[in-house]
Amino acid sequence: MNLKKLAAVAVAAALLVSACGGGSGKKSPSAKSGPSGTLTISNASGGLWTCGFNPFNTSVNLLVTGEVYEPLVFVNALQNQKTTPWLATGWAWSNANKTLTLTIRDGVKWSDGQPMSAADVLFTFNELKKFPALDLNSIWAVLGGVSQNGNRIVLNFKTAAVPYFYYVAGVLPIIPQHIWAPVKDPVQFKNDKPVGTGAFVMSSCNPQNFTLTANPAYWQKGLPKIAKVQYPAFTDNGPANIYLATGQAQCGSQYIPNIDTFFTKRSKDHHTWSPPVTQVTLYPNLKTPPLNDPVVRQALSYAVDRQKASAVGEDGQEPPASQLGVVSPTFASWIDPTAKAADTYSYNPGKVSQLLEGAGYKKGSDGIYVSPAGKKLSFTVINQGGYSDWVATLQVVAQGMKAAGIQLNVNNLSSDDYYNKMYNGKFDLAYYAQTGGPAPYYELRQWLYSANSAPIGQQATTNYERYMVPSTDKLFDSYAATTDTGQQHQIIAQLEQIMLKDVPVIPVTESPDWYQYNTAKFTGWVTQQNPYALPSAFQYPDMGQVLLHLQPK
Amino acid sequence: MKFVLRRLGFFLLTLWAALTINFAIPRLLPGSPITSLMARYHGRLQGAPLKAVEAELGVDNHDSLLTQYLTYLKNCARFDFGKSVQYFPESVSHQVGSALPWTLGLVGVTTVLAFVLGTGIGAVSAWRRGGRLDAVLPPVFVVATGLPYFWVAMMLILVFAVAHPWLPTAFGSDEGLTAGFNADFISSVLQHAILPSVTILISSIGVWVLIMRNSMVTTLAEDYVRMARAKGLPGRRIMWDYAARNAMLPSLTGFAICIGGVVSGAVLVEYVFAYPGVGYMLVQAVENEDFPMMQALFLLITVAVLLAVLLADIATAVLDPHTRTAR
Repeated sequence: MNLKKLAAVAVAAALLVSACGGGSGKKSPSAKSGPSGTLTISNASGGLWTCGFNPFNTSVNLLVTGEVYEPLVFVNALQNQKTTPWLATGWAWSNANKTLTLTIRDGVKWSDGQPMSAADVLFTFNELKKFPALDLNSIWAVLGGVSQNGNRIVLNFKTAAVPYFYYVAGVLPIIPQHIWAPVKDPVQFKNDKPVGTGAFVMSSCNPQNFTLTANPAYWQKGLPKIAKVQYPAFTDNGPANIYLATGQAQCGSQYIPNIDTFFTKRSKDHHTWSPPVTQVTLYPNLKTPPLNDPVVRQALSYAVDRQKASAVGEDGQEPPASQLGVVSPTFASWIDPTAKAADTYSYNPGKVSQLLEGAGYKKGSDGIYVSPAGKKLSFTVINQGGYSDWVATLQVVAQGMKAAGIQLNVNNLSSDDYYNKMYNGKFDLAYYAQTGGPAPYYELRQWLYSANSAPIGQQATTNYERYMVPSTDKLFDSYAATTDTGQQHQIIAQLEQIMLKDVPVIPVTESPDWYQYNTAKFTGWVTQQNPYALPSAFQYPDMGQVLLHLQPK
Repeated sequence: MKFVLRRLGFFLLTLWAALTINFAIPRLLPGSPITSLMARYHGRLQGAPLKAVEAELGVDNHDSLLTQYLTYLKNCARFDFGKSVQYFPESVSHQVGSALPWTLGLVGVTTVLAFVLGTGIGAVSAWRRGGRLDAVLPPVFVVATGLPYFWVAMMLILVFAVAHPWLPTAFGSDEGLTAGFNADFISSVLQHAILPSVTILISSIGVWVLIMRNSMVTTLAEDYVRMARAKGLPGRRIMWDYAARNAMLPSLTGFAICIGGVVSGAVLVEYVFAYPGVGYMLVQAVENEDFPMMQALFLLITVAVLLAVLLADIATAVLDPHTRTAR
């Protein structure tokens, strides 16, 4: 989302460029049997490249995880967690879903020619245990031990941990023991010559660009079909968007204001499809009266004009969210029909009046409700001031709330101040989007699981509103203990009911995975009809899957 | 000689003050680099891993301020600014070192060019005051100076790169090329430099034209110029050796500061053209609370400005004998 900042300049560019026709035509490469063609990625990463490719360094891991380093299993968030074997050929849960056994693929070689084996996988897990800074998803918080048995890896969890499959198998890059074992401090290891099992090898790098070339000895025969990937370092959106609009780049991953005229209509080869993956959400501080009263929170949710927030605040590019807390259409199969029928949370000032007046509130002379104790119903929402679209959205929300008798003051903060206040619970309301995961469970758990919370004044990891209800925690625990998807759906349905009744958080818009693509040179892109991976270039390891599917025309 | 020593002493004192302020300012700023780090990485850095990274960055260090200050001075002398927060685990010196040549090349050359061209045009238009050149160029440049950098840049991109794909829109060279002394790379660098440098020229040349023209007009009314005319010296010699040499003095200090400021880059131009220079790096460092990076860049800018001013002082002394004896 920081990709969207300074959008003002980009808007100006859009207006200018859209006034003008034309664009640069690109020659299509001649068809050959081996890999061919050069793909250029346009992803505003916000800085120059360091030419370090440590897959556990959060600033560069997205560049090589999937492309150079491969995880064990690909889990597709867009197809209901559909799994595709990657470095593991099979897996099974046992021991009441506390033990996961993975079978590691034979015949895979590292890009330096050495064979890859289960020993490397074991080494990777142990390295994370030894150096917690590498353990980006805190898997050792639930992992008890890891052992190797021939070509099998056995993971023993402390509790039933079915959803942790995504973190241990889906996103963890496997590294070669023979390269990493001698490294004394892998956290500060630059890794400028990454050796992986992936379809691509890093062939050259300078601060403004790095090049990936096809791995000639890749274990999936006939793949990859593209020969070269150029990844320029775009410090901000403006130049990145111009690269896309002029056809110099074929794959984009940031917000483009006025996208129709700026990009889509410029060429029949220009397409965009940005599937929603998480929700931008209002967090009411449940420790602050009157926000600790569910009736007030229900009234707040009825006072949020989600349609207008989406259409005006987000230029129609972020769909309105729902109080169910499940991203739709991406996770639509998880929405329980009963819960959906019960979701009446559309903008409704009449309902706001009914709820508040039922609770003893009276409208003051300025049209704002006053509590029975004589306090005005006025809240301050803290916001990331750098995200211009969020700023605009909250203005729209505040207008709607005012018309419904609730005053909302928007406090747009600098990044530091904002995160500090949000983590420590120093707010009335906060506006933020979680990272989510391949199913609604992940985002709901980030919001509602009490272990993700903390007392006011201490940093909460993701449960910023401080919702701590034991019965809800139990639902999450029982979800983690079952592989039966029917049962999991039933649990999510119960969580949806909790979202409707308790209104612990108020989703406003859905945050999409920004994605633009150009079909002039390549086919095989992620489309709405074939959503085989999350399409943004910054999504890892998904981008590795995208590059395996692409082929030159 | 005494004059030069005095200036040198002053230079050292200012340098020490700048170093100290540079040490203090980042520590007085609110916020922690770690929270910005979390924001940057899509929120994936949380909980225990966060603590581990804090330890790695030395953000949790509890040395006394004095110890930190002394270590800082020692490291500055060795050009060792530690590891960048933003580009962790890369060192600050490496990152700055990779961006600095681009900035010096682009902004340095264009700044000198703007000064030489602007001063020349200013001198000539004052000499031919009321002439055709004087009627057209100064007003045009004044208007050009008023145009915002980024607007000029985007208009140029629009015309020369989007509507007619003649010139590249972004970066210092073609993505695929490796830096080196070969024809491909050099011609690519020059091509990529055209639009950004024209942008800077358009928006900075006017200042020099105006300063020089106004200063020249005053100088031309001086007695020594009249005297030179009376002696029957050729016009060209009066214009450059008598008038322009003296009229240039006020511009010179301004130029020195500009040259010193070159190392801070041209933020907006670098931004619009995705040019890999230090200007944008500085902005990013401030946004990300990258203390080590900020310190290194601020120090670089301060030292460059101080050095340039020192040199300008010496140059002024050479050009204008008055200053040598001034107390």
